[in-house]
Amino acid sequence: MQLSSADVSAVGPNHGDTHGGRRGEAETVPEGVVLAARGVARRYGSHVALAPTTLDVRTGGTLALVGPNGAGKSTLLGILAGALAPSEGSVIVADPPPRIGWVPQRPAQYGRLSARENLELFARLEGIDDVEAKVASLLRLVDLAAPDRPATELSAGNQQRLNIAIALLAEPEVLLLDEPTASLDPGQRRRLWELASSVREHGGAVVFATQNIDEVERFADVVAVLQDGNVVFHGPFDRLGEKRLPFSADLDLSARFARDTA
Amino acid sequence: MTAVRLLLGKDLRVLGRSPALLVALLLYPVLIALLVALVARFAGDKPRVGFVDNDDIPREITVGGQTFDVSEVIDEVETEVDLIPLSEQDAEERLRTGDVVAAIVVPRGFVSRLQSLVRQPTLILRITRGGLAGRVERQTEALVYNLNRNLQDAYIEANLEYVDLLRQGGTGEFLGNEFDIVGLAGAERLLASLRDRRDDPAEQREIAELQAFVDEAELALTQSEETLRATANPIVLQLDDEGRRQWFLSAQVQAYALALTLALLSILVAAAGIASERDENVLGRLTRGLVRLGELVAEKIAFVTVVGVALGLALVLVLGLAIELSGSTAFASWLRLPVVAVGLAFAAAAFGAFGVLLGVLARETRTAALVALLVALPLVLLGSLPEVSVSPAAWVSRLFPFVHSVNLFESTLYDVDPAATVARELAWLLALAIAFAFGARLGIRRLLA
Repeated sequence: MQLSSADVSAVGPNHGDTHGGRRGEAETVPEGVVLAARGVARRYGSHVALAPTTLDVRTGGTLALVGPNGAGKSTLLGILAGALAPSEGSVIVADPPPRIGWVPQRPAQYGRLSARENLELFARLEGIDDVEAKVASLLRLVDLAAPDRPATELSAGNQQRLNIAIALLAEPEVLLLDEPTASLDPGQRRRLWELASSVREHGGAVVFATQNIDEVERFADVVAVLQDGNVVFHGPFDRLGEKRLPFSADLDLSARFARDTA
Repeated sequence: MTAVRLLLGKDLRVLGRSPALLVALLLYPVLIALLVALVARFAGDKPRVGFVDNDDIPREITVGGQTFDVSEVIDEVETEVDLIPLSEQDAEERLRTGDVVAAIVVPRGFVSRLQSLVRQPTLILRITRGGLAGRVERQTEALVYNLNRNLQDAYIEANLEYVDLLRQGGTGEFLGNEFDIVGLAGAERLLASLRDRRDDPAEQREIAELQAFVDEAELALTQSEETLRATANPIVLQLDDEGRRQWFLSAQVQAYALALTLALLSILVAAAGIASERDENVLGRLTRGLVRLGELVAEKIAFVTVVGVALGLALVLVLGLAIELSGSTAFASWLRLPVVAVGLAFAAAAFGAFGVLLGVLARETRTAALVALLVALPLVLLGSLPEVSVSPAAWVSRLFPFVHSVNLFESTLYDVDPAATVARELAWLLALAIAFAFGARLGIRRLLA
């Protein structure tokens, strides 16, 4: 299934750069779009993890990817992040390419290195000049306890803080978050969304995958609902209630809209 | 290259934080090397061989006037094979089932033929087909050779007694019949007496001719002892083991230990190392423009090469010191350590590239480690087979770095002029490293799925 652009607000004219299946094509992103998927799909043998999907991520907006487990949210985020090659289609980015920060669902860090060493390593790989200052500021930002203990010895919440901190190293203009608040305490959740808002307010964009409808309602401009690898709804959150989704109960959508209607 | 350097530093730091793993990685291959060397040395050293005595051989046998202790002979044989006394029927059954690999049959009349000194006694060797048969046949040939050598002295002594009888004359016995002969000395005395009593010139000439024959025969028979011994043993093997190395310090064992250590260590570390990047979930993060996939393969090979060279050199130093301390002979390779280091680097890179290939195919760290071990061991054993005996295996083993590493280290450590061998094996290892690295680069996308 192909879907036309997802409105995530818009800033600035952009000319394309691509990653994915049709790398190098001279396709340009539309006006105000910072990142766009063009018919991207991912298959594992005969299993379709993501059907061909077209999607725009607009500057200054927040797009929520919603759906039950195995719907294809993480696959789509991974493809947008450039971490996963699509089986077909391509991802095009604005020119100059935006800095993209990706927070995968499962923390992506070296378990035997401390949080500080992880940040230092990825900072050097990013080519950051003043590594120590950058690492110190990020450790303060995510308020990570015991930054010198091996990452495997950190709690799930602290591992997720480190996961987020690594994504923030490059000062991203586009932040891709895959169920980022799953293991965070309320204070850290609030801090994360403040951070996301800051990225958006500075002309960036945020895309996040979640199963938490409260977060969608509070932070997303646009929602894309995925099921079995297909986008089955795409539009503003308030129109989501008009859609009868087979998995609504899983996401507490029915109850939510029933309550809102009342 | 910066990315490779940074990841290499990371891997070395992680390895340094796992001292137990480091010690295990070093000790395990060394232990395996020693065990394999021991097995290679002693494996099947004493195959089970049936012994069928149809002649009821007595405890002692007298041949040519010399008495042999049969139990001593059997003890000597049992240093080579495990002799199991069997009846003929039992031996046939056990040969059929493979319980014994061969049976030595002593036929009836063996001892009497042996003692007769004129008829060759026969031992029968019954062997199974294939497997150890050729080896047992050679061992039995060696056994018969040793028996013959022991008997030779008795036979020579007996023959010399007859020669002495021919020279001196006297009473002898042959096949149970006693006889008197005049001998060459007696003949000479008789001829002298005849010469004094005869005046006929024609008779004197005939007596002189007979006298000349007796003199020449006497001269020839005087040489017979040495001639008999020389023809019985055309070549004498003199055992000289003074000042030589113990077998466990031999060049082959050192080269084998080095290659085996590198093989297991490099393949395991490389396979587990590349797969662990996926298990840590960092591959996606790295390959989003921070590190190219080819750089990741190169980094893992570089990591294994650094570790392999360090541990390999440590092993060379330990072996060298052991040789020096054993006092048998000096370790000749101290000056060649730089060449050894180059060889270690090439070998570790080739093994490492192969390990990375296995790692990207296996995808998960535990699976990768298991697959690496399961694949490495047969390849090592394949490379240990004698080339002449199993040529298809030798051809297959040439496509893997083990046999080239063994050849390289053997030549580097001890050849008088190793240049040609070293160059050839380095070229092989480089080619294999490139081929495996290319395969790993092609397959690494599997880790991103």
